[in-house]
Amino acid sequence: MSNQNEENLKDLFEKFLDPGDAEKAAEDIYKAEQYLRENPAPGPADTLIAGIKAGVSQAVLHRRKVNLYRKLAYQMVAAAAAIIVLVSVTARLTEKNTPEKLITASTSSKMIWNDTDLTTLTTEIEQAEDDMLALHTDQNGNGHKDTELTELEINITEIKNNFWKG
Amino acid sequence: MSKSDDLARIIIGCKNGDSECFSQLVDVYAGRCYGYFYRLTGNKEISDDLLSELFVKMVEKIGSQKGGSFEGWLFKTASNIFYDYLRDKQRQKKLFEIKGNQSELKSTKTERLEDEKIDKLQVQLKKLDMDTKELIMLRFYSGLSFKEMADMRSEPIGTTLSKLHRGLKKLRELMEQ
Repeated sequence: MSNQNEENLKDLFEKFLDPGDAEKAAEDIYKAEQYLRENPAPGPADTLIAGIKAGVSQAVLHRRKVNLYRKLAYQMVAAAAAIIVLVSVTARLTEKNTPEKLITASTSSKMIWNDTDLTTLTTEIEQAEDDMLALHTDQNGNGHKDTELTELEINITEIKNNFWKG
Repeated sequence: MSKSDDLARIIIGCKNGDSECFSQLVDVYAGRCYGYFYRLTGNKEISDDLLSELFVKMVEKIGSQKGGSFEGWLFKTASNIFYDYLRDKQRQKKLFEIKGNQSELKSTKTERLEDEKIDKLQVQLKKLDMDTKELIMLRFYSGLSFKEMADMRSEPIGTTLSKLHRGLKKLRELMEQ
């Protein structure tokens, strides 16, 4: 079995020894290996080979299963990672949208006062101004001045309350 | 198709998980690997176990064989398995010594002597140190070049050459006694 790699032992030994010693060393190796060739080791039994082949087939099946599970696990991890990225991106976008929503909310609170309400408020204020003017006009001839003044104050308070209620 | 092309095709098949290719690989290498284990252990049962372990490990690790010599990779694995076995045996020996249980050791020795009677070479091999014996068997059964063996053993090629020469010279002397 030796020399099958076709190494020239003599050349190899000559790198370390002088040519005479190299030749002798190569011969030592060849002759000693001759004993190994002449006394071959026993071979494996057929039953052992059959058993090994069966064991190898099982191991191959096991390896296939392991590879399949590993592939599935990698796919699941990839899917989980994709979901995490998606959720975090969505969360980030939601965070960015939140102040806009607040702004929209505050804007919409301003919009509670629509045109009809403003018209009503303006009318009520004008009414109060008219009443105030009438009081000034009747200042000398009308004895109910105090009562009317109180009513006017109540009206103004009511308008004020309505204003803050929206 | 040449022999090396055939081997390359079988190895590719093995890497793809083809059971038939693994069977072919067992046919190609079982004899050589068994001889390697048998000459190192001198015991058929142990060699059977180590050979089975080698091929199961081969299925598990074939993916790690990337280029280079397949024989180099296979016999490196075989060598690791053998040294693992030796370490395990050493641990068991210590355990028995601690427990004072010598009966197990005696039976192992008897088994070994029975095997040793099979051929003179095996008896003489026992007289060599384990490292030298392993190197001789690696050279003989793997067919690796000295360069590959030196790389596998992480030592200079001159050291490998010198160790092998010394070991084989000693073996020759023992066989000629």
